[in-house]
Amino acid sequence: MTNHALSLFQLCDSTFPNGSFSQSFGLETYIQRDIVTDAESFSDWLKVYIHEQLAYADGLAARIAYDALEEEDYDTLWELDRKLTVQNLARESRAGTQRMGESMLEISEAIYELPLLATYKEKIREKEAFGHPAIVFTIVGYALQAEKDTTILYYLYSTVTSLVQNAVRAIPLGQTTGQKIIYTFQKELRQATDKIMQLDRDEFGVVSPGLELSQMQHERVGIRIFSS
Amino acid sequence: MSKWTGVLKLDMENRGGRSVAKNVYFQGAFKVMRPVYLNNYNHPCYYLLNPGGGYLDGDKYHMEVSLDEKAELTLTTQSSTKVYKTPTKEVYQETIFNMKKDSYLEYLPDALIAYKDAKYYQKNIVYMEEGATLLYSDILTPGWSPEGEQFSYDMLRLKTEIYMNEQLVAFDHIKLQPESQQMTELGFMEGYTHLGSFIVIGEKTNDKLLDQLYETIQKQSGDFAFGISKLAISGFTIRIMANYTQVIERIITACHHVISEEWYQKKPSFLRKY
Repeated sequence: MTNHALSLFQLCDSTFPNGSFSQSFGLETYIQRDIVTDAESFSDWLKVYIHEQLAYADGLAARIAYDALEEEDYDTLWELDRKLTVQNLARESRAGTQRMGESMLEISEAIYELPLLATYKEKIREKEAFGHPAIVFTIVGYALQAEKDTTILYYLYSTVTSLVQNAVRAIPLGQTTGQKIIYTFQKELRQATDKIMQLDRDEFGVVSPGLELSQMQHERVGIRIFSS
Repeated sequence: MSKWTGVLKLDMENRGGRSVAKNVYFQGAFKVMRPVYLNNYNHPCYYLLNPGGGYLDGDKYHMEVSLDEKAELTLTTQSSTKVYKTPTKEVYQETIFNMKKDSYLEYLPDALIAYKDAKYYQKNIVYMEEGATLLYSDILTPGWSPEGEQFSYDMLRLKTEIYMNEQLVAFDHIKLQPESQQMTELGFMEGYTHLGSFIVIGEKTNDKLLDQLYETIQKQSGDFAFGISKLAISGFTIRIMANYTQVIERIITACHHVISEEWYQKKPSFLRKY
């Protein structure tokens, strides 16, 4: 725990306006098809999403980005921003993530006034970068002197809290059930972080077929309360 | 001895409006047959062969296909690629496609069949210049196993990187490891066994074409699930899960037809050999 823990908490807080409330990353497709209907089936989905997609993309990218920051190797950051964006083959998830990245960058830059965030914004304006929440979060975590694994863990946690909030609204689940899921997932998040710390860099961007299909299919589901 | 089990190099150029090979080289367990000019094409179609009959433990294959400006090529296989058990070392295949301005490449191989205890790693890297058009497909089929298991292979890993003017524009990475993944469950293969992908990059991509492809696929018979989505550049991906190779082949062929008719007002020739 660092002295800056509170600042990092702010970034993880589900009230932080990064636009995650409108993204389901394919969850809505499963809800519409009555595959995700309760706390149990939602937890199944969340587990697969964290371990089989988020870990290989955002998680591994956060780890590589953190190392790059330590080495002041900024080209790797921009390369990761591009890789993270183009590996997302489902258009809505890609666009949604990009919007979240931009909002997060906008607010973080205003709060922390980090020159690197200003550069990131500039690159997006020049269409040399896309904007990705995992990169923004890692830049902030590093600047706040959070450890590498802590930064990754908090990033995963922030994703889980917003997805649970969305599930509470969409399935729907009770607020208490939602909080219980977040609590239960502490173990999953630690496991995912351990796995991310061990992953070979070459494993970047592995995605499991069903998840990706549901994200593509979301473009054409009947009722949509989320934009991905 | 070369570190490769098989090497293949094929360079195409456009000679006064006709696409011809300016260099064909192969060595070891990799081969192409003489080009065929199919009915509706005015460019050659090359069939790839694996004279060894299948991929074995530790095999390494390298293929490089280059298309000069405005050169066109159809590349396919003569039959499915079979990967047998790899007790000590995975089979590795890398392919590099170099596509200059306004070139056209269809790479539509037969299915890859992974048998019991097979490990396979495939890496495709495509370097494109503007105006180039790529149609790429692959189909992953689990091989028959004596115990009747649905997924008896150890690992199938396919990594595809597509660059436009030296910038990464699409990245696809599939890694199926039945032993450590809940293959039949939510998020994985969800009750299906076969996986097909069709990646298309072309400047003429638009929403109307995607709608048309969506409807075409929906009309196909058989049990399958699919998704279609636009890429970060002008192009799209179609992903299909099914229980039969033929179902996926039929869908890819139907989509190939729609694209050829929309973009070139042409009907593609029948590529399969049976």
